[in-house]
Order: sequence, then structure tokens, then C-alpha cells
Amino acid sequence: MAPWRLTLARIRRDRWTMGALVLVATVLLLSFVGGPIASRVLGHNGYDQFPYAANITQKPVGPLSVVPDLNYSAGLTPSGELSPPPKRTPNTFMVFGADGPVGRDEFIRVLDGGKTSLEIAIGGALIALLIGLPLGAVGGYVGGLGDAIVSRITDTVMAFPLMLFLVFASVQLDAHIRGIGISWWLPDGVIAEALLIGVFTSFYPTRLIRAQLFQLREAEFVEAAEMVGASRWRTLRSHLLPHLIPTILVWAAVAVATNILLEIGLSFIGAGVQVSTATWGSLLSTTWGTLFQPQTYNSQQFTPWQTIFPTVFVLIAVVSLNQLSEGLRQALDPFTRR
Amino acid sequence: MTETLRFLLRRSAAGLLTVLAMVTITFVIFWATPTQPARFVYPNVQALTAWHIQHGDHILGIDRPKSDQYVDYVKHLFRWDFGDSWARGFALPGQSAGIKGFPITAQLDAQLRVTLSLLLGGAAVVLLLSVPLGAFAGSRVGTISDRTVSLVALIGVCSHPMVLSILIRSLFHGRLHWTPPGGYCPLSSGQPGCSGVTDWATHLALPWLTFAVLFLALYVRMIRVSVAETLPQDFVRTARAKGASSLRVMTRHVLPNAGLRILTMIGMEIGTALGVCIYVEAAFGLPGLASRAVFAMSGSTQLDLPVIMALVFVISTIVVVGNLAVDTLYAVLDPRLALGGRPRTGKSAAGGVI
Repeated sequence: MAPWRLTLARIRRDRWTMGALVLVATVLLLSFVGGPIASRVLGHNGYDQFPYAANITQKPVGPLSVVPDLNYSAGLTPSGELSPPPKRTPNTFMVFGADGPVGRDEFIRVLDGGKTSLEIAIGGALIALLIGLPLGAVGGYVGGLGDAIVSRITDTVMAFPLMLFLVFASVQLDAHIRGIGISWWLPDGVIAEALLIGVFTSFYPTRLIRAQLFQLREAEFVEAAEMVGASRWRTLRSHLLPHLIPTILVWAAVAVATNILLEIGLSFIGAGVQVSTATWGSLLSTTWGTLFQPQTYNSQQFTPWQTIFPTVFVLIAVVSLNQLSEGLRQALDPFTRR
Repeated sequence: MTETLRFLLRRSAAGLLTVLAMVTITFVIFWATPTQPARFVYPNVQALTAWHIQHGDHILGIDRPKSDQYVDYVKHLFRWDFGDSWARGFALPGQSAGIKGFPITAQLDAQLRVTLSLLLGGAAVVLLLSVPLGAFAGSRVGTISDRTVSLVALIGVCSHPMVLSILIRSLFHGRLHWTPPGGYCPLSSGQPGCSGVTDWATHLALPWLTFAVLFLALYVRMIRVSVAETLPQDFVRTARAKGASSLRVMTRHVLPNAGLRILTMIGMEIGTALGVCIYVEAAFGLPGLASRAVFAMSGSTQLDLPVIMALVFVISTIVVVGNLAVDTLYAVLDPRLALGGRPRTGKSAAGGVI
């Protein structure tokens, strides 16, 4: 059986991995098309504000609420209550309730936030791969001085908590690159954040690919290819690269999961995309404050739902991506017998 | 023994080089970032003139050639002396700030104690929880209880440290009032009511727990695999046949095999653990290194380069020294490895990132 068919058959037999695959696909689908569809059906988008979706202490409404479809507040009554909306104001429906004092739709924001978070996470992984592949190839296949330099730098930088670099770089560079964005599909700052995360996590694929090529270049099929006169470039491209695909796939699934968590971390530090842009990180950090001013949970101002919904989505995405990676690793490994 | 010694010497030299490289990289990066150090000396002057900048730089001692400063800095590092911060005390309008900055070393020592308490205590709690859980799951591979343990442990690693910290704090302090809200009590010479072992431990209990939940999955999974691989082996059957109880078989014959793997994992995870410290320290109000470093680097105040460089140096030193300690233990436990290097193990799911 061809190796790809074998892999597919193995994945199909592994219930946990199939489950993870389905979950990942669901999260992707919900994030990228769920938001627009929900906006169309419900008649408002993730930026529309409904002051009546939060009470006088700024506590937003919970899930499955019907709120007046009004984008301004009619002011306060003399007794300090929120005045009722004008007669015959139409209502609008909030599936997950509202997201905070300004009363945006939490459901649409979680979906849109997933889109932004996943764009950053996937973009970061792609950029890391774009940097890591050539560097790893130089290190693992060409060797020599280039390898010495690449692996020294990799080892040094990996000995240090990455978050610190990321914070420093994003604060210093943000003014220059933050404004880049394309409409709803790529909100401002997404490209910048993906770029930063990609550059600073590229050490992991570099090291993996280097190690893999180190083993592979001693293999007989490489020797055979070189003997019949294949150039280095050709050997690398058509003989070695296919062997890297399993490693890259397994890494990519974990990398996307880690990048999701990194994005949340950057939001907590206040170095992420603008707070008004929904991401899973910004949804969580509006409730819990930033790293420098962590808020204790205050039931006068917040509902638990504001934490639960983004957290559940993050949890599903990250757990299933990790499980998918593990399943892929087992399925792609020709030496496991299952 | 000489082989082991030579191996350790080689490792120490490599570690020293890594730290030096780190210092050099930060030195270059931070000097290349545009800042106005003279602002620290003249906080109240609207627009700095050339004279202000020159005089400010002179007071801060940064008008000398960069190479001299670098050599000087490295020399002082070896004496564990980080000099003075650029930030200085309060200044009246129109005047320059005080002549001297704050000595960094004393502050840093205090922060180092906090972070080390957190790291070491956290590691101990992780081991205390993960070894029994891993052994339990590993001896029942494939059953419902095995799957449950693995899945529950996985949730910890997949939720964000910041959220987890605040949730745990809200639950145990906010709801149940079992523990103090946070903060740090030194082991000795603190305020009355906030010093000594008891206060130290009660204040750190929640941070340690958070740490344990975050790292549980990795260790449980690894110990589980190791136990599952070891159980069917011949020497385990022999031990059983000779009448050893299942507890004795587990603790004496099976678990020691996981020891080296655990050690490797700890060595690799030191950097990640420091990254997690950022959030745990911030959420529990611990004045530790990692959260200080983020604060110093995030530019919410002006970049105080001497402070940042000191923090970077100490953090990379922790990683290097930690790895060296792991290597030493390794060489003692299994002298073969001094010749061939560490065995290969999988990288954690977190990948040293968060």
C-alpha cells in the first residue's frame, strides 16, 4: 500500500484522532464562515453596540437574551436607573449574551475572535516554516560553517523565555507595522502579530528540520541520487523534502496550538492587536485585565460566560490540535504497528 | 570518572559561552533600539537640547566608547554587580533628577529568591502529583481510568497560565478564603506576620498548585509511557515471581526507569517554566524576575537598559545553570551518557513557547 493510503487508513481507524480532526475542522469552519453567517441571521455584527445589553453596573446580559435593538442609551431616570428604551423598539437576539459594558454580541465576537486568532496562529506557523525550512536545510544538509552559525544562534535563543523577546519586539516595532490590515478579513495588526510570532518561533522548525536532514543525508537513497549526478538542490527538493512532510505536519499542528496560546499571552501583556478587535486573547483580557493589572473576578461587573465561552473554544482548539498532532505522528511513523 | 569530569567541564564551558552570547546579543539589540537615556536625568525638560543629552549621557556614564562599556559591564557581571539603574528618584520641576540611580543588584537578589522559590516548589509539587498519577495510568493503559487521567491532565496544559492562575486564585482565595490573596513572604527577615517558613509556604501554595496543573500533563504522559514500556519486561516479571508486592515492584523496579526521562524533561522545560512564571507571578502579585522583565521590556515606562540587561542575564543564567545541574545529575546517575550525550525524548506540547 502506498504510504499515504496507509497513513489515511491508520487515521481512520484511530477514533481519538478522527474525533480531533472533526473538532479542528469544526472550529475552523465556525471561525471563518460562522461569523458572517451569524451576523446575517441575527441582523447585527460583532462591532455593533447595544447599551441595553448591560445593566447599570455594566454587567452584560447572559446567554440567550433578547435586548432592545438600539445603539444608544436613552439616559438615566432621576432615580439613577437606566431609562426604558423608546416605545416599539425592535428587539435583537444574543446567543451567548453580551461581551461587556458596551454590549457587543459575545457569540459573534467569539466566532470572529476565532478567525483572528487562527489567522495569527496559522500565519505565524507558516512564516516560521518559511524561515525554518531554508535555515534547517542549510544546517542539516549543507553543513559546515553555515550549520555552526545556525545551530549556535538557535541554541542560544532557545535557552531564553521567548515571550520576553516577543514583548520587546512587538512594543518596539509595533508603531511601524501595526497599521497593516485588510478589512474584516485581516484586521489591523494581524499580519504584524503573525510576523512577529513567526519570526520568533522559527527556531523550532529549524531545529527539527535540521535534525531530520542530519539523519536522512546518510541514507542510501540520498547517496544513490548523488551518485547518478543529481545536484544538491535536486536531491534536497525531490528526494529529501518529501521525507520532511511528516515532521512538518506534526510540528505544524502543535505550533498552531501554541501560537493560539501565545496570542492570548500577548493580549494579556497588552502587546496584541487593538482591544476592539475580537480575538480569543482580547476577549479574555477584557475580563481579566492585563498582566500589570490583573482583576479579581467581580460578579457586579462580569458574568462567568465572558470567560467560559472563549476558554471553551480555546480549549477545544488546543486540545484537539495536540491530539491531532499525536495521532499524525503515530500514523505517519512507518515503524508503529497498528 | 575522568570522562564524567571532562564531560561536565565541557558542558560548563558551553554554558558560559551561551550566557556570554546572550549578554552580547542583548547589549547589541538594546543599544540599537532608539531611546533617550538623558530623559531619565531630565524628566521634566520638555525638549532636550544637545547639551542636556550630552550632560545626561555623561552622568549615566554612557558617553564612553561602547566597547569600553561592554568590557566593563562583563567584568562587573563576574562579580555579580549590575551597577545602578538609569531610573532615579523624584525631581523637582526644572531640575535634573538625583545623581545616582538605584543599585540593581539588591533588587535583583530579592526577585531571584521569589522566582526560585516558585520554580523549585512548583517542580516539587509537579513531581509529587505526576509520579503517582503516571504510575496509575501506566499500569492500566487503554482503560477508561487511563484515558480520564490523561485527558484531565491535558486540560491543564491547554488552558492559558494567566486564566488558570486567576481562576485558581478566585476559587481558593475569593470563594473559599483558604489562602492569603497573594504576595510573597521571605523565608527570613521579613515583616512580622509575613516571614518564616509557614508564611512563605502558605503564600506560595496557590502559585505552586497553578504550576503543577500547567505542567502535569507532560509529566503524567511521560511517566505513563515509561511505566507501560517497563511493566512487560522480564526483570519485572522476575521481581514479581520472587514475591515482591506490586507497590515494591512499582517503586523499586519500574519507576526508577522513568527517572532519567523526568530529568531530561525538567532540563528542557526550564525556559518554558520561566515563561509561565511571567503570568503566575503577575496573577499572584509575586515580585519575581519574570514579570519584572516583561514590565521592564514592555515599554510602559522608558526602557531602563541596565535593569533589562541584568534581568536578561539572570534569566539566561538560571536556564544555563539549571541545565548544567541536570547534566551533572545525569552524568552521576548514568555515566554512559557522558560519552554519548542525552537520549532523545519528545519535546513538550508547549514547545518552550508560552
